[in-house]
Amino acid sequence: MSVPFPARARRIGLNAAAVLFCAVWIFPVYWMVNTAFKPYGDILKPTPGFLPFPFSLANFSDAVHKSGFLTDLANSAVVTCSVVLLAIVVAFLAATALTRFHFFGRRSFLVGVLIVQMVPQPALLIPIFLSLKSAHMLNSLFGLTLTYLALVLPFTVWVLRGFLQGIPVELEEAAMVDGASRVRIIRTILLPLVLPGVIATSVFAFITAWNDYVFAYVLMKDQSHYTLPVWLVSFSTSAGTDYGGLIAASTLFALPVVVFFMLIQRRLVAGMTAGAVKD
Amino acid sequence: MPLSEKPRQTSAAGPAEGRAAADAAATAEAPGVLSGVRPTGPVRTDADRPGPGRPRTGRNRPAVLRRLRRNALPLTLLAPAAAVLALVLGYPLVRVVVISFQDYGLRALFTGRISWAGWANYRAVLEDAQLVPVLLRTAGFCAALVAGTLLIGLAVAMMMGRLGRRMRTAVTFVLIAAWAVPNVASSLVWQWLFQPVYGVVNWLLTRTHLFGDLTQRDWSGSTLSAFLLVWLLVVWQSVPFVALTLHAGLSQIPRPYYEAAALDGAGPWTVFRVITLPFLRPILGLVTILSVIWDFNVFTQLWILTRGGPNQTTTTLPIWSFTKAFSSNSFGQGAAIAVVSVLLLLAATALYVRRLVRSGEDL
Repeated sequence: MSVPFPARARRIGLNAAAVLFCAVWIFPVYWMVNTAFKPYGDILKPTPGFLPFPFSLANFSDAVHKSGFLTDLANSAVVTCSVVLLAIVVAFLAATALTRFHFFGRRSFLVGVLIVQMVPQPALLIPIFLSLKSAHMLNSLFGLTLTYLALVLPFTVWVLRGFLQGIPVELEEAAMVDGASRVRIIRTILLPLVLPGVIATSVFAFITAWNDYVFAYVLMKDQSHYTLPVWLVSFSTSAGTDYGGLIAASTLFALPVVVFFMLIQRRLVAGMTAGAVKD
Repeated sequence: MPLSEKPRQTSAAGPAEGRAAADAAATAEAPGVLSGVRPTGPVRTDADRPGPGRPRTGRNRPAVLRRLRRNALPLTLLAPAAAVLALVLGYPLVRVVVISFQDYGLRALFTGRISWAGWANYRAVLEDAQLVPVLLRTAGFCAALVAGTLLIGLAVAMMMGRLGRRMRTAVTFVLIAAWAVPNVASSLVWQWLFQPVYGVVNWLLTRTHLFGDLTQRDWSGSTLSAFLLVWLLVVWQSVPFVALTLHAGLSQIPRPYYEAAALDGAGPWTVFRVITLPFLRPILGLVTILSVIWDFNVFTQLWILTRGGPNQTTTTLPIWSFTKAFSSNSFGQGAAIAVVSVLLLLAATALYVRRLVRSGEDL
């Protein structure tokens, strides 16, 4: 098949640009994985090796056995799971109320949710720290969970509301004619249909809680209560030279999020912009 | 779902908190409060509205009771979310303003005795020699980040639309991989990439023979290169969201418009200006405003990579507020800076906020 020359040149140029972009953009991730799998002695070399050869898992076992890693991993897991579960339940109830009922305060609540989403997190740091301190909840995983839940809720409520709006009311009306109660309708009709939305929002909640550094850094005072990000940073400043262990630990830390993102990549954009752009 | 289980009816009656919330909400939403346009009268009662939202109320009950009963279920459903938001977002928002007017230092922290400071915190912040450089830095850095992210993001989005299916999948994969790496992990990887002596970037740059021997270069050692270091990191992380969102927006522009433009012999720039841009405007606006908010508040990456240094020359507003509060233990001044930041951000996004509140009209 003969393609006219300018078009072919353009396509080649375009593909070259795409390849270049991919190479540059993936490089940090590639370098993270590459470093993590290198044997210890190969990391600090003036001439870097571009393939992890010989291949080694020493950095990973090194990281896992560092003091505090497993405890703080468990902390991260507990807090993150609690936030995800609570966020789904609380946001789903709220979204049901907001889409299926008209009541006083509905609109003020929605606008409040929109506005509160704009408040920068650093501004909340000081009052949340002082409030939890006077409530004797510093260093408490429960206090941290509550904080994340509040950070996550505006967005989750908003997105779930968007998904619920897309489900035709006729379905519920039919169930009502058949004599199903409202609670039953929520459970057997709305919940299964809105499952994609639940997945999208739970990923968001997961990422917020799992990735956060600032709040955990300020609210958690001793290492047994750190979450993984705080552990990682303290590890880098106290023993800054062990880049093998540090990068391997970072890889382990990033892994669940990357897997999650890949699983839901189709919904990622739709979820992020749902409700934000009106159609 | 077990069919035998009898559906519970109790929640329809509404527990105490639902009722309290009902009262609060009823007083909170005065008609017309949102827009000043809507005339008087209770906002949209649902008596005339079809759908499952319409509860069956007794015909001869007093009006208040009927209204409470009608609102009980939704307000009960809403109560947990409202409680958490009020407690952990609403209350701190009020409190940060209160603290900014208090003499909240170490003594207050330990004795619990807090005295009012009037405008002293704000005066101290306004008279601080740091203020002007910090403001300029924050604005400049934010602008550079937003511009870089949007330009690269738009270019990548437009590129994606013209690529073949396989190449586009590869680009999507790369974008998602970069997007997924958590802030802390990517900041630490950045430290490692740009490490003096052993960092691969220094090595690569030296190999190009363009800049001389850079192997010893310490990127966080001078102000400009420290900002460049963080700029690269934040742009690397933010482009994926922008590119994927804009790509989604671009792919919704109807083909015939482009075909018509091609028939009329329009050049690529004209096509972009006359067709692409107008269609993309709403989504571009959204992405811009989100970028402004996020980039204004960049904290973790700066904190890990530079700690605001060297000599506090990469200290932006969030870092300044943080160090005032948590390093100098002057929570009052830290809160004052936070309040000023929020006000500045609100001013910068005022139009958008106004649109949001307006959109409350037809929610």
